[in-house]
Amino acid sequence: MTVAPPELPPAGVPTPAGGSAPARRRSIVSGRLLAHIARRLLELVIVLLGVTFLIYAMVFALRGDPIASLAGDRPLPANVIATLRARYHLDDPLWQQYLHYLGGLLQGDLGTDFTGRPVSEKMASRWPITIVLALTAWGIQLVIGCVLGLIAGLRHGRTVDRAILFGTIVISSIPIFVMAIAAQFFLGLKWGWLPIAGTTAGWPVAFILPAACLAVFELAAVSRLMRGGVVDSLQSDYVRTLRAKGLSSRRIVGIHVLRNAGIPVVTYAAINLGFLLGGAIIVEGIFNMPGIGGLMFTAIRNHEGPTVVSVATTLILIFLLLGALVDVINSLLDPRIRRD
Amino acid sequence: MTRSLRPQHRLRRLHLLTAGLAVAALSLTACSVGGGTDSSSSATAAGASSAAPSGTVPGSSYIVATTEPGDLTPGKQITAYDQDMAMFTSLTDVATDGTVTMAAAESVESPDATNWTIKLKPGWTFHNGEPVTAQSYVDAWNATAYGPNAWPNSGQLAEIVGYSDLNPTSGEPTTKEMSGLKVVDDTTFTVQLSAPDGQFPLQLSQAVTGFFPMPKAAFTDLDAYNKQPIGNGPYMITGPHAENQDIVLKAYDKYAGTPAKTETITFKIYADTTTAYTDAQAGNIDIVGVGPAKIASAATDFGDRLYVNDAPGIAFLGLPTWDSRYSDVRVRQAISMAIDRDAVNQAIYAGRYTPATSFTPPTEPGTPEGVCGEACTYNPDKAKELLAAAGGWTGDMEITYPGGFGLDDLYKAYANQIRKNLGIENVTTKATTDFAEFAQLRGDAKLNGPYFSRWGALYPSQQNTLKAFFVPGGGGGCTNCSALQPQEVQDLIAKADGQVDQAKAIDYYQQAQKALAEQLPIVPMFYEKYMFVTSEKVTALPSSQGSPIWSQVTVA
Repeated sequence: MTVAPPELPPAGVPTPAGGSAPARRRSIVSGRLLAHIARRLLELVIVLLGVTFLIYAMVFALRGDPIASLAGDRPLPANVIATLRARYHLDDPLWQQYLHYLGGLLQGDLGTDFTGRPVSEKMASRWPITIVLALTAWGIQLVIGCVLGLIAGLRHGRTVDRAILFGTIVISSIPIFVMAIAAQFFLGLKWGWLPIAGTTAGWPVAFILPAACLAVFELAAVSRLMRGGVVDSLQSDYVRTLRAKGLSSRRIVGIHVLRNAGIPVVTYAAINLGFLLGGAIIVEGIFNMPGIGGLMFTAIRNHEGPTVVSVATTLILIFLLLGALVDVINSLLDPRIRRD
Repeated sequence: MTRSLRPQHRLRRLHLLTAGLAVAALSLTACSVGGGTDSSSSATAAGASSAAPSGTVPGSSYIVATTEPGDLTPGKQITAYDQDMAMFTSLTDVATDGTVTMAAAESVESPDATNWTIKLKPGWTFHNGEPVTAQSYVDAWNATAYGPNAWPNSGQLAEIVGYSDLNPTSGEPTTKEMSGLKVVDDTTFTVQLSAPDGQFPLQLSQAVTGFFPMPKAAFTDLDAYNKQPIGNGPYMITGPHAENQDIVLKAYDKYAGTPAKTETITFKIYADTTTAYTDAQAGNIDIVGVGPAKIASAATDFGDRLYVNDAPGIAFLGLPTWDSRYSDVRVRQAISMAIDRDAVNQAIYAGRYTPATSFTPPTEPGTPEGVCGEACTYNPDKAKELLAAAGGWTGDMEITYPGGFGLDDLYKAYANQIRKNLGIENVTTKATTDFAEFAQLRGDAKLNGPYFSRWGALYPSQQNTLKAFFVPGGGGGCTNCSALQPQEVQDLIAKADGQVDQAKAIDYYQQAQKALAEQLPIVPMFYEKYMFVTSEKVTALPSSQGSPIWSQVTVA
C-alpha cells in the first residue's frame, strides 16, 4: 500500500545514481549557469526593492503616533515629540521616508530605532541567538523526522508505521505555546533537568528545550515526506532491478532509496528553516531568548519602519538563498535536475 | 531489509557537506552567544577588586528580573527606573506614608514657593571619584531640558525659568543654560520657578530622574555614559550595558548615604514577565514584579514571599465627554454606580487592589478618601434611576483600551457590569493594536465610548495625579487624561500649587477633589498595588511608594 506524501515535487521514477558523477559536476559551473545566476541576482534586486517598499508602506500605514507613545501612558512634552518626529523624518511623505531609508541602506546604514540605537547593532546581537535556535530545531527535526520516516517507510502498513503516524500527528497538533509552557513547567521547573529560560547556560543546554518545542511542530510533515519517498522508492522498478542483481538490502536502502526519498525532504526542510528563522516569536518570548522574533514584534509595536524593513529584508534574503541552496542540493541528489 | 544503516561512500560525502555547514554555523554563532554572556561576568570580576563598604555584607548578592531598560541616562530613561534608582540618590526622599526626608540635599527651602535654595550635603562623590557639586546638578538639568537633545524626561523641568529658552516653539535655542539656575557655591544653588510651586521638594524625590546629577565626565561622551552611567548612588554599574545582557551593580565603597546592605545586584533582562515569574519559582531569580497574569496565583505559589505594596497609582474609567450622551453628570454617576468594584477586584486582582473612593491614591498625603461618596459606591438600582432621569440611553457603548498589556479581562469585566446593571444592551470592548493607536485616538477625541485611564505618579503629591488628568498640558500631554477639565478644579489646583505651607496646599487639593466628586468627569476605579515575589534567599524587601528600595534589600 502506498501513501502519497503531501507535497511531492515532480520526480517521476528516478534512476540510480551513475558512476560518472564527476564529469557531470563540471557542467554545473557552465556559462549558462552564470547567466542564470546573473538573471537571478537582478531579479533579487527588483524583488528586494519592491518588498522593502511594501513593508515600509505597511509600517507607515499603521495608525497612531509612535513618538507620542514612546513613554507609554506617561506623555512626552510637545517639544520633545516635535524634535524626535523631525529627527526620524516622521512628518515626511512616505516616498521621502523610504528614499531616505534607501539612501542610508546604500551607504550600509540600516537606520536607528526611536531611541537612536543603530538597527545593525540590534540585529547583530539578536541574529546569532535566532540562528542557533533555528538550526538546533532544524537539526532535531531533520534527524528525528528522517529516522522516524525511514522506519515507517521500511515497515509501512505495520503497527510501527501507524504508531509513528499517530504519535507525530498528535504532537504536531498541540499549540506551540501550550507545548512550550508545559515543557518549561515539567522539564525546567518541576524536574529541573534543563534551564527554564535565557541563553546563559549556552549551547546546547539552553537551546534544547525551545528548539525541541519548535522542532516537533513539523515532525509529522518531515517523517511523512520521508516515509512516502521510501515507500515509493522501494516499490519502484530500479529497486526491483537492484534486488534482482543481488544487491544487499542495506546497500539498496542506504544508497539508492534514501537518496531519492531525500529530495522532497530537502526542499521542505530548506523552506522550513526559513520559517524557523523568522517565526519563533512565541518560543523566543516564553524561553526569554532575545532573538530576531522578539525584535520584530517590538519593532512593529513601536512602528519602527527601519527596524521592521531591515529584519524583513534579511529574512527575504535568507529565503532566496535557501531556495538557491535547495536547487543545488537537489541537483546533487538527482542528476536529471541538473540537465534541465 | 535491515534497520541499521551504514553510510556508504557517496552518500556520506553529501551528508558531510550539509552537516558540516550546519555545524560550522552552530559553532560560529555559539561562540558569539557565549561571548555576550562572558562580558558581564568579566565585568563582575573587574569590579570585585574594590572593598565592600561598611554595613554591606561581603559577597552577598541577589538577582532581579527586569525588562530591557534601554537608555540609562537619568534624563533620558523611560524604563530604567530600577537601575537608576540604585545607581543614583535623589535630593529628597519620600516614604510610602508621604514623609519627606533629605537624601543628597541638606535642605530645600523657599520663602515664596518660587525661589528655591538647594543646599547639598558635603563630601558626596560620583562613582568615578569626582565630587558632587551644585554644578553637577545644574549641568545635568540643563542637558535634560535642552530641546535639541529631546530627552524624554525634559518635561519634569518645565517649571524652571529659562526652560522655554531651551525649547523655543520654532528654530534652534540660542542658549544651552536655563537662566533660573544659579550656582552659589560648591554645595549651594538656587532655582527660580516660573510660577510658585510648593510641591517642588517632592518633585526632587527618588523616581523623578530628570532631577538627578551628572558628573563632568558624562559630557565628554554622552553615548558611552548612556550605557555606563556614573551616578552618586549606593551602587555603581560594573560595565557598559549591552542590550538584553545582565546588568551587574556593585555597592559603591565611598557612598556617603545610607550604605547598601547587599553587595551585588544583578538585573536580568526578561521579555516576558510570566517567564521571569516561573524562573523565580525555580529559585533562579530572587525578586520579580508580578504581572497581571500571575496576580491570582502569586499567593499560592509564593506564600509570605509575596509583597503587596501600596503604590502611587490609580485607575479610572475615562469618559468621552465630547460625546453629548455623556454630558449629563447623572449618566456619568450611573456608569460609576453600576460597576461592582469589589466583584471586579476579586475576579481580576484576587482582591488585592482597593476600590477607589477619591481622585488620587492614598499614598499621596492628604488624599481625601471617601470624597467620591455615593457616586463611587455600587448601587445598581440608583444607577438605573439616575440614567432614566437623565433621559435613558440610546445606541451602543464601546469601551476602548490599548491592546497587548493584559488589560482585556479588566475591561470586559467593566463592560459586563455596565451591561448587566445599567440595562444597556450593546456594551462592547475594543483593544487597539498598540499604545500608539490608542494615544492617537484619545488625542483626537475619536474614541466611541469610555476608555482606559490610569496614572502612576512619579512623586507622591496630589498635585502630580490631579494635574495629569485635569490640567491641560499638566503632565506634558494627554494620552489618557480626563476629557472634561473643569475650570474651577484647575483654579483650585493652581492655588494649592502656590502654597508654601503643605497643610494649606493639601486643603486646596482636597477642595479640588470635592469639586471633581460633584462633576465626576472620570470614574475612580482602583488604588493600584505594585506586587513583588521573592525567592527564599530574600529576607526583607523594604519598599517606598510601591517600589523596592534596592540598597536596603537583605538576603540570607
